[in-house]
Amino acid sequence: MKLLKVVLILFLFLTTQQVMAVESGVALKTEAIKKEPFSDAKTIATLTTGDKVNIFKKDGGWLNVRSAKGNGWVRMLSIRKGDAKKEKTLVDSFKGLASGRSGTGKVVATTGIRGLNDEELKSAKFDAAELHLAESYATSRSEAQSFADKGNLKPRALDYLALPQ
Amino acid sequence: MKTINSVVVLILFSICSITVYGFDFGGELGKALKENVQKKLGDNSGSTANVVSGLFGTSQDEEISIGKQIAGNLLGASPLVKDATLQKYINNVGRWVASQSERPDLPWHFGVIDTKDINAFAAPGGYVFVTRGLYQQLQNEASLAGVLAHEIGHVIRKHHLKILQQSSWVDLGGQALARQAGNNEKVQQLIGSGAEVMSRSLDKNAEFEADSIAIVLSTRAGYDPFSFVEVLQGISHISGNDDSVAMLFKTHPHPDERLDKLNVAMDNSFDNIKGVTLDNRFYRIKP
Repeated sequence: MKLLKVVLILFLFLTTQQVMAVESGVALKTEAIKKEPFSDAKTIATLTTGDKVNIFKKDGGWLNVRSAKGNGWVRMLSIRKGDAKKEKTLVDSFKGLASGRSGTGKVVATTGIRGLNDEELKSAKFDAAELHLAESYATSRSEAQSFADKGNLKPRALDYLALPQ
Repeated sequence: MKTINSVVVLILFSICSITVYGFDFGGELGKALKENVQKKLGDNSGSTANVVSGLFGTSQDEEISIGKQIAGNLLGASPLVKDATLQKYINNVGRWVASQSERPDLPWHFGVIDTKDINAFAAPGGYVFVTRGLYQQLQNEASLAGVLAHEIGHVIRKHHLKILQQSSWVDLGGQALARQAGNNEKVQQLIGSGAEVMSRSLDKNAEFEADSIAIVLSTRAGYDPFSFVEVLQGISHISGNDDSVAMLFKTHPHPDERLDKLNVAMDNSFDNIKGVTLDNRFYRIKP
């Protein structure tokens, strides 16, 4: 019974660790904090360049933040997410252990596990069987349409963007 | 009658352009192209689209042959992740996004290749590959759609073809590139060694263009376009010293620069667009 309790607590601890990972960020420019994640929502306060924020969630192009200036929604592209300040969680540490990267330094013979480099690409030999396999998974336009319908994906008309010079 | 007229006009126009741009492709190739165009007029089955693509210098069939060769070589360096559900899933997402482009009927192929590198590759004619390392960085289906849309952007704007034309097209010696199933030596001559063309940098503006196409195509497909922005933000946090991003950082502008450009291009016009992210449907690779 006691063991069950410990396991439960440990489980709760691990899951909350993941959920509560709050990211920090910095305002890239002067930007309004809005009451709702829409451009015509009420402005609560204004961030200035360099203001620090804590990020809680995302909705479309908006981030829900808390800052010294106020709490609300800020345009995502006006925030640079914090510089890898994310605390390493216990789960991450477990993952590190499980990947067994701290091995003997012996090169594993399995192809594709190491990273790709210029030399490997240059010396790559045509693999007809693998190409055939890759092509066998092709999806037709009508299959793609029903896949989209299942996900409730609704196409939207939109022109390409003008590129900044 | 109207169709025949417009075909004739197109043919005349394409023959003129071949003359004008002849120095780009070399005389032999120009001849091959002209023959190709004449053949299309003769058998009368060539669609207008094919004749028009002849203007650019490479027919769609040739484009696909080149892509097939590069894809086969890339898979020789790094095979597919052996997970059929994953591979079918990425083809479903990719084909839906590609269907929103102006080249919906290319024979599109998508795949996840088994390397811890964080990268994605596009080859002419509709071959797109994402590495396992990049796939595992993704949070939801919308972010996958954004990454695929970036690569689709390279394909539809023929960015790699343009590189090949600049560097080795003239060395080809005017051999029409026959479409064939297996290893194609003529095409291999054109693309250099193995899949090295995949490790070459495109013009910076080609990357910015592909980023803006990624935003547009994922929005058109009904996805949240900002999920792609999140992918770039995530990559921008990885240290440049990390092996897994060495090639990505070497061949692309820094993610921060890409985000700056997107910020300008998108401005406020996406503020009220709410696409879906499909977190629950996103297929996660078994560890």
